[in-house]
Amino acid sequence: MRLEMGTFPVHEVRFAGRTQWHDGVLEIERDALIDLVLRDPRIATAEVEIARPGESVRIWPVRDVIEPRIKVEGPGIVYPGICGRPITTVGQGCTHRLAGVGVTEVSGVNWHEAGGDYVEVYLDMSGPWAEMIPMSALWHVCVVVEPDPALGSEAQNDAVHQAALTVSDHLAATVRDLQAPQGEIFQLRPVDPALPRVVYIQCIHSPQAMSGSLHTFCTTTYGLTQLTPPWFFHPNEILDGAITGPYRTPFAMSWTVANNPVLLDLYRRHGVDWNFLGVIALRTEWTTQHEKQLMANQTAKLAQMLGAQGALVTWDAGGNEFIEVIRTIQACERLGIKTVFLTSEDDATGGAPTMLEPLPEADAIVSTGFFKTRTLEVPELPPVARVIGHPTKPIGPLRDQLAPTAGPLPPPPRYDDHYGFNRLSCAEF
Amino acid sequence: MAGPLRVVQYLNQFFGGIGGEEIASMPLQVQRGAVGSGRALQPLLQGQAEVVATLICGDNYIHDQRDKALAVLTEQLQALQPDVLLAGPAFESGRYGLACTEVCKAAQAAGVPALAGMHPQNPGVESGRPDVLIVPTSASPADMQTALAAMVRLALKLGRREALGPAELEGFLPRGVRRTYVREAPGYQRALDMLAAKLTGQPFLTEVPIHIPERVAPAPPIARLAQATIALVTTGGLVRKGNPDKQVASNATRYFRHSVAELQSLSARDWEAYHSGYFNHIVNKNPNYILPLSFLRDLEGKGEIAGVYPWIYALPGVSTPVAQAKRMGADIAHELQEARVDGCLLVAT
Amino acid sequence: MTKEIERLGIPTAQISAIYEFAMTTGANRVVRGCRIEHVCGDPELGAEKDYAFGMRIVRTALAALQTAVDGPTLFDPAEMLEA
Repeated sequence: MRLEMGTFPVHEVRFAGRTQWHDGVLEIERDALIDLVLRDPRIATAEVEIARPGESVRIWPVRDVIEPRIKVEGPGIVYPGICGRPITTVGQGCTHRLAGVGVTEVSGVNWHEAGGDYVEVYLDMSGPWAEMIPMSALWHVCVVVEPDPALGSEAQNDAVHQAALTVSDHLAATVRDLQAPQGEIFQLRPVDPALPRVVYIQCIHSPQAMSGSLHTFCTTTYGLTQLTPPWFFHPNEILDGAITGPYRTPFAMSWTVANNPVLLDLYRRHGVDWNFLGVIALRTEWTTQHEKQLMANQTAKLAQMLGAQGALVTWDAGGNEFIEVIRTIQACERLGIKTVFLTSEDDATGGAPTMLEPLPEADAIVSTGFFKTRTLEVPELPPVARVIGHPTKPIGPLRDQLAPTAGPLPPPPRYDDHYGFNRLSCAEF
Repeated sequence: MAGPLRVVQYLNQFFGGIGGEEIASMPLQVQRGAVGSGRALQPLLQGQAEVVATLICGDNYIHDQRDKALAVLTEQLQALQPDVLLAGPAFESGRYGLACTEVCKAAQAAGVPALAGMHPQNPGVESGRPDVLIVPTSASPADMQTALAAMVRLALKLGRREALGPAELEGFLPRGVRRTYVREAPGYQRALDMLAAKLTGQPFLTEVPIHIPERVAPAPPIARLAQATIALVTTGGLVRKGNPDKQVASNATRYFRHSVAELQSLSARDWEAYHSGYFNHIVNKNPNYILPLSFLRDLEGKGEIAGVYPWIYALPGVSTPVAQAKRMGADIAHELQEARVDGCLLVAT
Repeated sequence: MTKEIERLGIPTAQISAIYEFAMTTGANRVVRGCRIEHVCGDPELGAEKDYAFGMRIVRTALAALQTAVDGPTLFDPAEMLEA
């Protein structure tokens, strides 16, 4: 599988008479784009707004941020499977991307109606929160949409995400036929057989347990969100968006998964430090001890059968999902596969462990710090001059008070740097 | 206010040069300057600090008369006003290590920064978490110089009241106290570098030390049960009816022992449970559920065991800080050992 | 506490209903008790069977004291043969 990735940097986005990219400037014909979104009868209202990095602007509610990418050559379509897109296997040929811009899905639609999961993320383009979130350095083309309220929850989720994808596809199309200023070839070429063989085990939350449904909207693997046994992906498939869609933190977005520095660095060090075999994606939040252990066993077995000698493990969730993740690590170690675990930490009160079940096999852990903004002591975020999206936001532990979005606001509850973008960590004192 | 830092060292009877196990019950005493193994400490301080006094105490005394010993220690520290206290190094000596930890806590409570040195597997380490700073040493006193040098580095910082960085930088054992810390490289890079190191057998340092509860070597089995005396202990909160001893229902800092020499069974008339962690009513009707005296008496009658140790030990094992549990366990263990008990049944709820 | 007694060479059997936790914390000889509220027996069984059950637990504990172990080991009364 060989994929040529052509990068078109964007250093400015503005509304203009035509939608086009030239010399790093992305121009958008706003009304035409809104009309495109409104063609979907499921969409009731639509707006497109631009947020500039450094501007005093807050975007709320942020459901997802998508990097515009488009297939130029090769089978399939980027972000396959989700919202009914073709499920053709991707990862070959040529793909173009707009770097430095995100299409941001802004809508009041919640993930599902079973309770316990809420859209919580908002983005600031300047100030202390912006400094913590890598995506705040992007230009955001915000697709502010609300669906027909008569639709069921799953249909509403589908509709608003589709709206964001429509905009993403449209913007990416501006560079489909152009010569990319920057290019990179992604290929797992044969390497020195003496190099250690490694896999990336990417644990992805499934909303099945929390929602009780197989089709709840969330991060997808080729469009599926349900609990499935481990998948084996060529990394190119992920570069073409085979894992896409959001979960609940600013680091679990389509943009962060497509730009995952763990994946990219594993790839770039292929042939130097290791022989990168590929990505095992495990859906998490299985519901019994048995199922969790089964997935752990099977994931480790798959890694072993692939010939892995090492594995890097990440996850994007919390709570009891830790059990299948840590047991996957344990199972790998017991098969002689050396693991490194990249993870955030829970509260450390009275010296209690910051991990749910510290197993001795997890002897190589890299910490991205506490995941709760409260534990990180992120201060109340300052007022902003402009709001994109909803003018008020529910706050308080019961989410029963409304505060003006523009005003000083408590930060979103979760930070959680799943893929290690930042340098924030914890140490033992 | 220049001048060398004032250091006090705590040593046990052996390292203090007084004597061995036979004098382990000696009470706390103060000597001027550095004595015993402390003489190796002074030169390492290189004029930046001075050992003004050494506190020496028998390892048994400080356990058996803990409160008294620590009270004297605190008085001494208040009189001496040192800038820092060094306890040990205890290497792998368990009683000494636990003593060092207690001494450090008392010193800290008296406003004196303190640190101890011992082997990472010394029980004093676990009992010191999360408050006591412990510098790791080898198991062998032959490494006294190395151990003291490591302790001195940290002692000087503490004495100067400098802020401490994380354990991995300052050279003390991780204590389970996790704090935000910004590292030099982003997480993904550190993770992949760690993977590369682990794969090639190079050293790496995990950013999250796993704290595994300590293991203890299993005691050898009883060879002849018919000749064995068995002791009974419970954390089920057993008390005499009406709780005349006023044992607490949780957060216990002491246990009580009761004589069962005359008893064949625990009756609901004379005993009950007082423990906030479980529903006590069933045990109130039959206290043998949490201290199976009736069964052991039955077996004693049949000659299957030689006897039941006449003292039983009870406390409510809920919200008991680990360090307290350890200390109580050590005290009970000491008594059972002196009584030459062959085996013990401990019922936990 | 069990470990402290064990540390001085006295074999100790910890009888507990939450036996996995006992093993994780490092007790070497762990005997599965009935329930937290009545560790050595079961009042639901009626007086005679309750006593027999309690005796089985105690015998299992004594058997554990007579068994050499390498580390945390579970002794389950359900698996012990009737004495």
